[in-house]
Amino acid sequence: MDFGGLLLGFEFVLSFQGIFFVFLGVFIGTLIGMMPGLGPITAIAVMIPMTYGMDPVIAIVLMAGVYYGAVFGGSSASILLNAPGTSSTVVTAFDGYPMAQKGQAGKALAIAAIASFVGGTVAVILTMLFAPLMANVAVSFGPAEYFALMFMGLLLITTLSEGSTTKALISAVLGFMAVTIGTDAQTGTSRFTFGSMNLLDGIDFLVVALGLFALAEVCFLIINRNNKMQNTANLGSLRLNKKELKEMSGPMSRHSVLGFIIGVLPGAGATMASFMSYIMEKKISKNPEEFGKGSIKGLAAPETSNNAAATGSFVPLLSLGIPGSGTTAVMLAALLVLGVKPGPLLIEESPEIFWGVIASMYLGNIFLLLLNLPLIPYISKILQIPRQLLISLVVMFCLLGVYTVSFSTFDMLILLVFGILGYFMKLVNIPAAPFILAFILGGMLEQNLRQALTISNGSFDIFWNSPTAMALFAISLLSFIVPLLFRKKKMK
Amino acid sequence: MKFTLNKKLSTALSVISIAYLIMAYQLPEYTLVPVDSDVIPKILGYILLFLSIILFFLKDEEKKEASLPRKEIGMLLGTAVLILFYIFLLEIVGFIIMTTLFIFVSSRFYGYKKYITNGIVSIGFSVAMYLLFNELLLVRLPSGWLPL
Repeated sequence: MDFGGLLLGFEFVLSFQGIFFVFLGVFIGTLIGMMPGLGPITAIAVMIPMTYGMDPVIAIVLMAGVYYGAVFGGSSASILLNAPGTSSTVVTAFDGYPMAQKGQAGKALAIAAIASFVGGTVAVILTMLFAPLMANVAVSFGPAEYFALMFMGLLLITTLSEGSTTKALISAVLGFMAVTIGTDAQTGTSRFTFGSMNLLDGIDFLVVALGLFALAEVCFLIINRNNKMQNTANLGSLRLNKKELKEMSGPMSRHSVLGFIIGVLPGAGATMASFMSYIMEKKISKNPEEFGKGSIKGLAAPETSNNAAATGSFVPLLSLGIPGSGTTAVMLAALLVLGVKPGPLLIEESPEIFWGVIASMYLGNIFLLLLNLPLIPYISKILQIPRQLLISLVVMFCLLGVYTVSFSTFDMLILLVFGILGYFMKLVNIPAAPFILAFILGGMLEQNLRQALTISNGSFDIFWNSPTAMALFAISLLSFIVPLLFRKKKMK
Repeated sequence: MKFTLNKKLSTALSVISIAYLIMAYQLPEYTLVPVDSDVIPKILGYILLFLSIILFFLKDEEKKEASLPRKEIGMLLGTAVLILFYIFLLEIVGFIIMTTLFIFVSSRFYGYKKYITNGIVSIGFSVAMYLLFNELLLVRLPSGWLPL
């Protein structure tokens, strides 16, 4: 354990600037996450233009705060409105909303806040222990191993995502195709640019992220703009008694670890973690019939788990430089723009970034608790902002975000195209997360493959001779075949 | 045989993959690189074609096709038109005027009737953003017709 590093991180985070930006991140994240339909990817993507020119440590601390703030904000919307802001808080509504209907909204919010805090904090400790270990292993990785790793990440996100695997794969392939547009870095060939000068540099990831997520989400906001939100007016007491706290402790300890592990796995994120925790908690519960009717355990389990997973997903990002989810993919892209290259060398070369993020997570979790418990009644007022106004502002944020990055009206047109694409994808149930992950990993994947094959002079032996790469390919293959076999069994 | 959603999607995707493949085959070749710039695109094109064929034979998910009222399609198209206007006029007219107009007009378009609040929000937002970017983040937004 590198305590010197952690001290360095805290030194930064506990400065005025550090505290301010962690607070700001958590606050903005909570606000955006609370708005129905807007999720963490949108929250982070909207923040990106603001971080240009910032010190990279501050930028990532801010974005990390926005991320777990948004996850928590989503939970509040689930509890209060039965309208989950993101897929990772769908499960929260199962027991949170019934509690709110019983007049215990305050209690449910308190449980969610405490569970999130515990899940997040345990996961930070685990991240601190595991990320450096993983980085040590990855230092020896060459292009062949990296190719295998990214390949696995991409395949896992498609097999693990909800819904049809075929559609998730289609989404990933489309994302990969989108990134082949532009000048090929190795040969200088311009690919799929249709002779347009504007496309020579390829498409900026921010345009894709804002279009595919934010703008597409706005389309659904527009359609549902007149749905009246019945806000739970009476929150009730926020206080929990001893018995209730005791009831939470079991699920919290179990699912903070489970959530973390799922978060670290490439492809599986907060959504899957929350579902798995809920199912597991229900299975081991003595009275499973309470689940779905306002069970404290049923609320604490997914809430612990989704925050733990959100934190755990930073492990592969920081130690390998490989995002395991759509959200961390967007964050990776933002870091690359700031000149930070996350990967196994990050801890050595820029310890202040690595440890700054870790330290900010401790602080962020505390803020999340402090901010949310007393302020929840006020924060939930944001839900009363007229939808019509909100929609215009979100659209404006997307346009502004793209323009301030490239100063090109052409990019805004591309944004519109991706917004339309994202809307249609949602309409026909093609998930967008594999698209953005493939868009960001695709370029690196191709580069590593070609580097590997250039080193070996075109021979595939470079993969055969690397046990790590072969092991990773084996895992990818298994992740693909096992679910298929299970499905066959079920059919019989 | 009913032409289900999956079949429609599959058809559209196979058209895309074939078009993509045709373009991939037209990429110039270099002899000295072990993996040329056309290899990955060709692989991607074939995978997409393969996936769309699988999709053709898959049963549709239980979830019903989301049906959209005509009026809502109009709303979405209207939004797209407003965005297009914004994009084309932004650099000519300037950030503050266009942004104020955009927020005001689109909020009204979605049915927001409080003109005064709308006006305050749209002017406040565009001025605040202009100041934030120009003064704090040092990013120049187009000033356009306003003598700024």
